[in-house]
Amino acid sequence: MTTATLRQFTRDATVKTADLRHRAVIQKNIASYDAAVARGMTRFADWQNARSHAAAIKWETINHLDHYLEQFERNVLTNGGHVFWAETAADAREHVLLLARRHGVHKVVKSKSMTTEEIHLNEALEAADIHTIETDLGEYICQIRGEPPYHIVTPVMHLTKSDIARTFQEKLGAPLTDSAEELAMIARANLRREFMTADMGITGANFAIADTGMIALTENEGNARLSFSLPPVHVAVVGIEKLIPRFEDLALFWPLLSTSGTGQAITVYNSLIGGPRQAREVDGPREFYVILLDNGRTRLLADPEQRDALHCIRCGACLNACPVYKNIGGHAYGTTYQGPIGSVITPHLRDAREWSHLPYASSLCGACTDVCPVRIDLHHHLLHNRRNAVQSRFDNPVQRILFHAWFWAMQSSTRYAIAGKLGNLALRLGIAQPLLRPWTAKREFPMPPRHSFRDYWRQHGHRA
Amino acid sequence: MDIARDNILQRVRAALRVEAHRPPAPTGTPIFPPIADPEARFREEFAALKGDIIENAEKLRVFLNGFSKIATDGSELTSKTVGEPNAGVRECDLGVTSCDCLVAQTGSVVVSTLSAGGRALSVLPPTHLVIARREQIVPDLATAMTLLRKRYDRHWPSTLSVITGSSRTADIEKILVMGAHGPKRLALYFAD
Amino acid sequence: MRVALFIPCFIDQLFPNVGIAMVTVLRRLQVDVYYPPEQTCCGQPAFNTGYCDEARTLAERYCDIFADADAIVSPSGSCTAMVRSFYPELLGKATQTTARTYEFAEFLVKKLGVTDVGATFRQRVTYHDSCHALRELRLKDEPRQLLLNVRGLDLVEMDQAETCCGFGGTFSVKFPMISYAMDEVKVTSIQKTGAQYVVSTDSSCLMQIDGHLRRQNLPIKTISLAEVLAST
Repeated sequence: MTTATLRQFTRDATVKTADLRHRAVIQKNIASYDAAVARGMTRFADWQNARSHAAAIKWETINHLDHYLEQFERNVLTNGGHVFWAETAADAREHVLLLARRHGVHKVVKSKSMTTEEIHLNEALEAADIHTIETDLGEYICQIRGEPPYHIVTPVMHLTKSDIARTFQEKLGAPLTDSAEELAMIARANLRREFMTADMGITGANFAIADTGMIALTENEGNARLSFSLPPVHVAVVGIEKLIPRFEDLALFWPLLSTSGTGQAITVYNSLIGGPRQAREVDGPREFYVILLDNGRTRLLADPEQRDALHCIRCGACLNACPVYKNIGGHAYGTTYQGPIGSVITPHLRDAREWSHLPYASSLCGACTDVCPVRIDLHHHLLHNRRNAVQSRFDNPVQRILFHAWFWAMQSSTRYAIAGKLGNLALRLGIAQPLLRPWTAKREFPMPPRHSFRDYWRQHGHRA
Repeated sequence: MDIARDNILQRVRAALRVEAHRPPAPTGTPIFPPIADPEARFREEFAALKGDIIENAEKLRVFLNGFSKIATDGSELTSKTVGEPNAGVRECDLGVTSCDCLVAQTGSVVVSTLSAGGRALSVLPPTHLVIARREQIVPDLATAMTLLRKRYDRHWPSTLSVITGSSRTADIEKILVMGAHGPKRLALYFAD
Repeated sequence: MRVALFIPCFIDQLFPNVGIAMVTVLRRLQVDVYYPPEQTCCGQPAFNTGYCDEARTLAERYCDIFADADAIVSPSGSCTAMVRSFYPELLGKATQTTARTYEFAEFLVKKLGVTDVGATFRQRVTYHDSCHALRELRLKDEPRQLLLNVRGLDLVEMDQAETCCGFGGTFSVKFPMISYAMDEVKVTSIQKTGAQYVVSTDSSCLMQIDGHLRRQNLPIKTISLAEVLAST
């Protein structure tokens, strides 16, 4: 089925794969990630066993999610925070806007959050005349360029220093520089002013800890800490799958996320926020709100076959391992979550027909499944999504007819042998090759020998 | 009566009526290798993260002389070690705090709003100095979490942070830049 | 032990020499082989495209045809993975037939315990890990052990040995630009080794690589592991 999103995907993938510079930039970036991760894994006694532990904990949580959600909510309330539930992206945006109005918010500082990308929160805030500033360096660069994040962990993986310097010159009037440090310091100075004057800090959550009612934030820069420390109101937008049962589970999940995300043993700042400023504390927001977001997650939950996709901790490892991602990059997907995990969950979270092409845009090599720190069966889920698409009749009718014909031939060795002879003849006459475009557009198809293996066997097989 | 809450929980419960296939069970072997000498490991990790350990009182004096505006958490330990603050957290060029514990496994400093003078003091100043005692070193994250649970259960501070080195970013071409938003420099002094 | 040959459809039609080479090696090792002529295709093209009902019928057909074999050997990691990894999911259970299906190199090393088949191949080669052999069947060392015991053979590892060649069946037709970018990466890595031959367990990968090499007039040839092992 050709949809507008498929046409867009095909167009973008064509442009991106032809852009050798672009491919070189991301492949170099991913190569340095690979080296760091290989070093990082050596810090575990047994990486494979660590994955199994993490998978078991996430399985336990996701398969008893109602229990853990209620426990989390109860504990947030006890800590003096508030919890809102949002069934859809629109509901979540509405909650944030309501809170912004209630607290007279004019300026919001945000720390990196894919969940807020998913619900298009920035656009909604800006439309309500609330100045919204992304404070993670990568996200800040995306924001001033007007681009979505290119990668769930590394938002500007596709840009070089000089690309960013030109952006800063064009959008901020900064002098051109080829120093990454100077660029980072320009952003630091600009954003420091925003932190000091913001009325609300918005974050996501890497984990939500049920037994203490805390959210956990993983970062390197300190912008998340500033976002939940300085403004008078803190709002965290949290997907319902982010739960983990116990505070102590972080002793595994923090190193696991860092290792798979960047290769670090643990990132620089791993923070837990369990509520607003308390009477015994000297600073901090006076209000703490958690918005628990469904937005299609319960649909994925209802599919026991692919439920483990909700184990995802958004480390980005499957993107970095994916040969498709490495050649088309993050923007071509057209989704909030790119790469293998995105191709698994997007048809569930969004429209199954509209996004039915993504599971097909994979060679099913399985590299993603091997690196997933929580053992999501990613490439097999791509197959499951393909089957679901065919069962929903989202498949191309011409393809359907071809497969039915092929199936008819393959059910009988006589029909198969005849089809083989016809195909062989067509190839020898050179009339089949054009039909095999687009494969043959850039490759030579092999010329088949006159005799098949079964011919050989009939004549010579019964020797010995 | 929250309709969204009820709807979501109802959908969750309906979805979970069929159990998902369980992943293979992990083995009982430790996840991380054992740590023989926690202090040595802590020093090694902390140095690898470009953290500075100030080795004696004389060096601490020299270090402190480099700053004119100092904010502290006002705790007994910091007051005894560096004296009284002369600036607020928003103006200072050095923030001095205590901590909850130090983690050898990762070279981390664990702080909370209660141990480190609130939320901003350990992240807003351009340099962060931690005053700790050697006995605060624990071997690994798991031990740190157990200790925190014991110390705070049911009376948790509103935030806790595990600080592992000073603020940094590698968002631009994976080039390491120190001091992205938080302190550019993290220093540690053992007060015992 | 009676060993049935499972010759995948594209090997039967396009690369019969791969099947013949496998027979040559097995007979050299005194293995009693036979070829059930009713076999057609394992159903993988349908399965991978989402046509699971069709694939299931072909899976049942395979299990009937090969029900009596003590072992089933195939010169394809991909089709073996289809049978051993995916048939159980399609059929709702693993059967003796699915469990007894082996990829050729796997059969030699793991089942027969043979790593030296007495072959000679005086060339510099590099080995391409097929995704299905590597990640579904977990065959990493077995093909290399066999290659290292081939007289005169110089094995040079490429930096992207485990990276997919970009074939992926219908993927290469549905998204040819991505598939092509992937074989470009692969071929660049192959070229850096200075090898004269690329060897793999899987002729589908080799077809993709060879199609690229020949269109670009690059002086590197592809050869299946079975053909290398049959060379003397």
